[in-house]
Amino acid sequence: MIVTTSPGNGADIEGVATAWAIRVAEGPLAHADKQALDAWLAEDSRHLGAFVRAQALWLDLDRVVALDPLAAPAVPDRARPRITHPLRYAVAASIAVLVLCASIAYNQLAGRVSTSRGEVRTLALDDGSIVTMNGGSTVQVRYDGNARRIVLRGGEASFKVAHNPARPFIVDAGGLEVRAVGTEFVVGMDKGQVAVTVEEGVVAIDGAKGAAGERLLHRNEQFVDASTGARKAVLTSREVQRMASWRQGLLIFEGQTVGAAVEMVNRHTEIPVIIDDPTLVHAEFMGVLKIGDAHAFADAIAQAFNAEVIDEKTQLRVIRKRTAPSH
Amino acid sequence: MMASLCMDHHARLRWFTREVLPHEADVRRWLGRRVRGLEGCDVDEIIQEAYARIWTLAPEDIQNPRAYLFVVARHIVGQILRRSRVVAIDLVADLETLNIVDEGLDAYRILSGKEELDRLYAILDEMPERCSQAFRLKKFEHLSQREIADRMGIAESTVEKHLSKALRIVSEKMKVASHLDVKDGVDRDDKSWKWG
Repeated sequence: MIVTTSPGNGADIEGVATAWAIRVAEGPLAHADKQALDAWLAEDSRHLGAFVRAQALWLDLDRVVALDPLAAPAVPDRARPRITHPLRYAVAASIAVLVLCASIAYNQLAGRVSTSRGEVRTLALDDGSIVTMNGGSTVQVRYDGNARRIVLRGGEASFKVAHNPARPFIVDAGGLEVRAVGTEFVVGMDKGQVAVTVEEGVVAIDGAKGAAGERLLHRNEQFVDASTGARKAVLTSREVQRMASWRQGLLIFEGQTVGAAVEMVNRHTEIPVIIDDPTLVHAEFMGVLKIGDAHAFADAIAQAFNAEVIDEKTQLRVIRKRTAPSH
Repeated sequence: MMASLCMDHHARLRWFTREVLPHEADVRRWLGRRVRGLEGCDVDEIIQEAYARIWTLAPEDIQNPRAYLFVVARHIVGQILRRSRVVAIDLVADLETLNIVDEGLDAYRILSGKEELDRLYAILDEMPERCSQAFRLKKFEHLSQREIADRMGIAESTVEKHLSKALRIVSEKMKVASHLDVKDGVDRDDKSWKWG
């Protein structure tokens, strides 16, 4: 029954439900309390709904609080994970590191592999590690007896690392060293900055601007080394998955601006998409695309925003429909 | 409706918190556009009723909790409208045919961790100081109400009141759609902070 003739409106119910949620969260209820709660819940299904909601909100706050890397005073120091020895994390951790950086500088050709735009290529290395390269990327493999070193010259790549603590696996990206231990991770480069995003496990980062010594990066954390300085961000697993979606040959957009989406799509295509309408650039776009399919992307934009695509051979221009009624 | 205290209460609550709660703000927004001004339609009450119905079902029977929440909410509104004598019948029909898939069922984004934290800290800043203090001791330092009482020099029952009020404030703030205070397409810089 949810008609408003019953006593107590939704807001009053919430006050009672909240108080019960706090008491229940503290520990088992006294017998009298339990009877009182049961009786109240039995009165009206809204009471139950409000009680469930209050409990869920209270529980969810633990998750939110745990997101704060600066808080965490609850755990005594000795119980915190030791972070001075990344090798301790060696057990089959899976890491994805995304590095974005611009400077595609000098050419040292040995062990060098490049992909064209729109191409995602997988390399199986002789130690069992696997490198998946995004489109328009260049890596250089430099293995020796002491270390497995990969130099990312440009673009983006994912690394699934075979566990071998005696031979660390290091990705060198624009002067930044990303050391992974028994992990999987992605590295890419764009616009003068290096961004490292960890999907699973831990990586150690060295050589960041303005940061002395080695830093550890954990699951769902992102490290950005830009000209303005180094910084860290915490992402959701969903965001991290989206960022690594190119490994499956897909680009996933969940409400990014059309402008941002176009930039992503054009990194993977020979025929760029041009959005020729400033109002479209800031619209939000959702969809899943195959990498390299600029036509599908342009068509999706056109369909979503009542625009049209003009195929100019060298580029796909998206404009507002000239015949579209004004709104 | 006594399922609330059954054996698997905690597992079920975790499921509910993870799968249903995150979509509440969107359902509220969706409902708000439809039931504003309609007699007998209070969004808080519709949410409460929807949660009660979802809670009594087995989680494994609900394939898509977000979609299910929208459908249940729509169904409840339909029931209210049918009972109401003042609502024109074509509005009921309109509601029944609403295509919720087009309207936010798939279109949503989850706040990033940083955004969620920012929102929590903003809420804490607005709380009365004693509420906020009790909340921090409980959620950040994981103290019992007894320990909080000792730390703050107040009665345990007062701690409970402060925590209830804090949760009540959080509860109100969470009703506001996350979309409204988050820019779309934020770039990475916007949700980053200085490291070191």
